[in-house]
Amino acid sequence: MTAENARFTFSIDDRSLALLLDEALYPLDAIYGAAYLFVDRCYIFLDRPADKQVQVRFRTKSDSTEQDLEALAGEFANELLNQVLRLRISESTKSIREYTLARAFFGDSSQASIDALLAELDAEELADDPLEINVPWESGT
Amino acid sequence: MKSHTIELPRPQVAADQLGFFRFGDIAGRVLLTNDAGEWHFLGREDFAALVAGTLPAEHPERPTLLAKGFLRSELDLDALSERIRRKKSFLGNGPHLHVVITTLRCNQDCRYCHASRTDMDQVQTDMSLETAKKVVDLAMQSTSNYVAFEYQGGEPTVNMDVIKFCVEYSREKNRYEGKTLDHSVVTNFTYMTEEHAEWLLANDVLVCTSLDGPEELHNYNRTWRSGSDAYGSVREWMAYFNRRWIELGRDPHLWHVDALTTLTRRSLEQWKDIVDLYVGLGIRSVHLRPLNPFGFASKTWDQIGYSTDEYLAMYEEALDYIIDLNKAGTTIIEGTAAVLLKKMLTPDDPNYVDIRSPVGSGTGQVAYNYDGTILPSDEGRMIHAMGDPMFVLGQVGSTSYSEIVGHPTVKSMAVASLLDSLPGCSSCWNAPYCGVRPLHNYRQTGDLFAQRPNTPKCAEHMTIARLLFERLAEDTTGEVEAIFRRWTVQRPRVRDED
Repeated sequence: MTAENARFTFSIDDRSLALLLDEALYPLDAIYGAAYLFVDRCYIFLDRPADKQVQVRFRTKSDSTEQDLEALAGEFANELLNQVLRLRISESTKSIREYTLARAFFGDSSQASIDALLAELDAEELADDPLEINVPWESGT
Repeated sequence: MKSHTIELPRPQVAADQLGFFRFGDIAGRVLLTNDAGEWHFLGREDFAALVAGTLPAEHPERPTLLAKGFLRSELDLDALSERIRRKKSFLGNGPHLHVVITTLRCNQDCRYCHASRTDMDQVQTDMSLETAKKVVDLAMQSTSNYVAFEYQGGEPTVNMDVIKFCVEYSREKNRYEGKTLDHSVVTNFTYMTEEHAEWLLANDVLVCTSLDGPEELHNYNRTWRSGSDAYGSVREWMAYFNRRWIELGRDPHLWHVDALTTLTRRSLEQWKDIVDLYVGLGIRSVHLRPLNPFGFASKTWDQIGYSTDEYLAMYEEALDYIIDLNKAGTTIIEGTAAVLLKKMLTPDDPNYVDIRSPVGSGTGQVAYNYDGTILPSDEGRMIHAMGDPMFVLGQVGSTSYSEIVGHPTVKSMAVASLLDSLPGCSSCWNAPYCGVRPLHNYRQTGDLFAQRPNTPKCAEHMTIARLLFERLAEDTTGEVEAIFRRWTVQRPRVRDED
């Protein structure tokens, strides 16, 4: 396996596909996340045959050919890499999301309120200005 | 057992340069979305460069990626927070939709009836005025400044006295509450009289009816017990109301009878006829929703039901046909698409209670059965009518407003539909636009949560959102986006003199 490429070895049997994954490369949450997206098409069995190793075995819910299972393996491998990326982004942006969501739902929106209040006052002043304070001197007669 | 090996390029990740986003493959490109509902398409190579932190400083997409919050440098956290706050502002509103079941009596016997109807002699299923008063008292306590009373049945106009009472009493109470009130009646028009019609017109009650399609289809789906022509009655009363609103000086684009179609297996074969009928009648919205798995429909599913794949195949054809009609100058929108597009193309959320996170059951809508039983939605009422009291929230007169919105069942449904915390949803590109229906999950799997990929609503929402994004991705001239943007504009339906 090169630094740029990920290698997946899998075995195929009657309606079944099995992959052995290294947890050091593929965090458990990424494996769960990827496997979950296949529950509509497959029964999924997870096992730990050795320390830091996870076996994922798929059994298709309907008849499948060897080509179907190979395609399934490719699809899962792709999804696993996507899940690793999603996890990295999620972990890296955790504090950003905590800040934005906390501010959105519980934060101080006083600035927006002050702006709204000022706009309202401006509108009122423009509407009701008997002394013509808001009339620019240039337009006076 | 055969052994194989595949090699795939491993993405290089410079996570510390990225804002939070979800992503997915759509139309041969990568779609990025975030919590504020922002989205952007990138080619695969550009996406790889973005993720690797090697997107050149002068790359033409960079300013847009920055503005939408997909890059961390110069990320304006407060502005992003404000966009999220606006997008999710419905969370602070409280229930605005109050469904009032005035009676279970109905003179139709529709094949899919999910409204738990009874025969016309079952007068004990009429709501009493005493119960109606308690319903209005409770509904008007909502913290929402906008309250919409929706009268359903059975056939709600069979108990017209309760409709009249609710309209007048709520308006009387509203002299002190100062809310924006709407009243709408969902009627099959088979019990309408000129006296009732004139009262509804004079009192600004919106009218919505069921129009399943051309005559043969409508009368097949919606059997009138008297043996009369249900389709003819609907057409006659639609014309009556629409004519009278014009005579009363109302804008016909705003004041007209809205119509809903319920799609059976036979309807799927005639989708084009349904759309053409709506266009021919000047109706500007057709909502092509799949059949609900509730009530009588589940008993007759084999006759009138269809698979999610069959529904979605029909939907795609119909959506493209409706887009083509718009290109040719006809204004007609598709309802589900309009809801999703409002989320995708505007800074707001339409607060459509069935497609939001969390779901609106109990926090966006409340349903009141004829006997005063309080339920989180009309679907909850149907499950109750099937003999399952799981979703009963209380009883008008003895249950307080805070007990409804804080009910453990309502909280459970909120948790079961909060996309940020659901497996499969929390990382899905469609999370900003989607919504989970816990009552559907419960009905179909016995579990409020269910496994998302196994639920029809997941496939439905994901596919329709994907179709819309595909149409936007392939829209080189901007014509489709302009049409879609028009679908997101809704003028308020107020009286001209207001």
